[in-house]
Amino acid sequence: MNLLLAVVAGLWYWYAMCRVGYTLQHIFCQPLVMAVPFGLIMGDLSTALIIGSGIEMMYVGLVSNGGNIPADECLAGVVAIPIALASGMDAQSAIVLALPFGLLGVLMDQIKRFINGYFANLADQYAEQGNDKGIERCAVLYPMAAGLLLRFPPVFILIYFGTDLVQKILNALPGWFTNGLSVAGGVLPALGFAITIFVVGKSMLIPFFILGFFFIQYFQISTIGAAIFGICMALLIICFRREKEAV
Amino acid sequence: MERNMAEITKKDLRRSFLRWYMSAEISNSFERLQSISFCYSMIPVLRKLYPDQDAFKAALKRELQFFNTEAIWGTPIHGITIAMEEEKARGEDIPDSAITGIKTGLMGPLAGIGDTITWGMLKTIIYGIGCTMAAAGNIMGALITIIFPLLTFLISGYLFNMGYHVGRESVKTILHAGWVKELILGTGIVGMFMMGALSAGFVKLELAAVIPVSGGGAIAIQDSLNSMVPGLLPILIVFGIYSVIKKKKVNYGIISLVILIVSLAGSFIGLF
Repeated sequence: MNLLLAVVAGLWYWYAMCRVGYTLQHIFCQPLVMAVPFGLIMGDLSTALIIGSGIEMMYVGLVSNGGNIPADECLAGVVAIPIALASGMDAQSAIVLALPFGLLGVLMDQIKRFINGYFANLADQYAEQGNDKGIERCAVLYPMAAGLLLRFPPVFILIYFGTDLVQKILNALPGWFTNGLSVAGGVLPALGFAITIFVVGKSMLIPFFILGFFFIQYFQISTIGAAIFGICMALLIICFRREKEAV
Repeated sequence: MERNMAEITKKDLRRSFLRWYMSAEISNSFERLQSISFCYSMIPVLRKLYPDQDAFKAALKRELQFFNTEAIWGTPIHGITIAMEEEKARGEDIPDSAITGIKTGLMGPLAGIGDTITWGMLKTIIYGIGCTMAAAGNIMGALITIIFPLLTFLISGYLFNMGYHVGRESVKTILHAGWVKELILGTGIVGMFMMGALSAGFVKLELAAVIPVSGGGAIAIQDSLNSMVPGLLPILIVFGIYSVIKKKKVNYGIISLVILIVSLAGSFIGLF
């Protein structure tokens, strides 16, 4: 089981991070989405989805700036979800487990972009020769091949050897420590939301955040319900602005 | 001068767009970012326009120049570039610097719009809704994320064609049109409202500490907080972290480490 998990996780991480299809591949990078194959392999889809969505929440608000990713949610999910499932960890501890890998993934991305610099120079030479097939290889084939060497081995090794290790560590931890991990797992998503508010950068919009928060706290409606109210509110505000401008 | 009357068909445009959408980030590198992908998307068009090998070489080099944008909202640039290359191939006097200038001049402003709408808003709203459904173990939460690529693919293709047919004016329209500003405002409102709604479900912190009272009973602090304002601690944490990021620009990794340490320490002394 560990072998199958490790192979799937390694291949998934490679393929998702090749970013074939700008926004299409992006969904495969999400812990929320990769929870499906891992859940199916482990025969526990709903636990996988709960863990996946918990990890996702830490990263949902992150926006990459000029191609620099602040954290790699794909590595975070691809390592933490299989290990959490195999070792019976709860969602909130899995969030903490995911954390360091989300940060390590940034380093992986930098290595990728460093390697791709070589293919960029190669493409220049091909342009000089009028070799369009060569440029096509530099745009797709070479970066994907290099990505396989870069992305597959570390994930494979982590899952294959890490699962039992994590289980042993979990069993040895004192109660207050595992409780502390759960607490951290509950607080960490706040970081993602805080970064979103910061990136959006319009203090004028902050009241809408507070409104959404207490809307759920007091009325406990579903997210789709909240979306309906949110969209109507936005449309109303835009209509009022138009009328004001027309006067 | 030999005139080339090769015509760019709808099929060529579609091919060029698909190449761009599929490959935009694959070859991303520090020095050149999306330059190779841009050239890759132009190759079918350039092949057709420049049967002469020397002109083809020059065109390849021209389209390998530095390029980086947000790949969904940046596509009018591709359309405009194809239209300009077409004119150039017909023998009109268009210097290389005109094409490069259009590309470098437009990629920044369009990326600004794209980062806000595609990544700041659409992504966040769609994934956010997916998350709450998946948090209840519902597989639909994972499946509905497909809306994100579908929607952005359509927007991107529309803008690509608009760039080709309308030309340089199209970007002016996008940058100054009222509807784009309204779209940014509207998605901003919905996005922030949804973020607030999601944080209500996902940010959790409860105090375990109790205040002993005379007579043997105890008051749970959390219960009195709940009766005052439900969710007070989670929202205070969100805005606490927000003000730290805003004032000190602290690194993501450091904040998460601090959260971890405080949680463990708090658990050790029985606060949480």
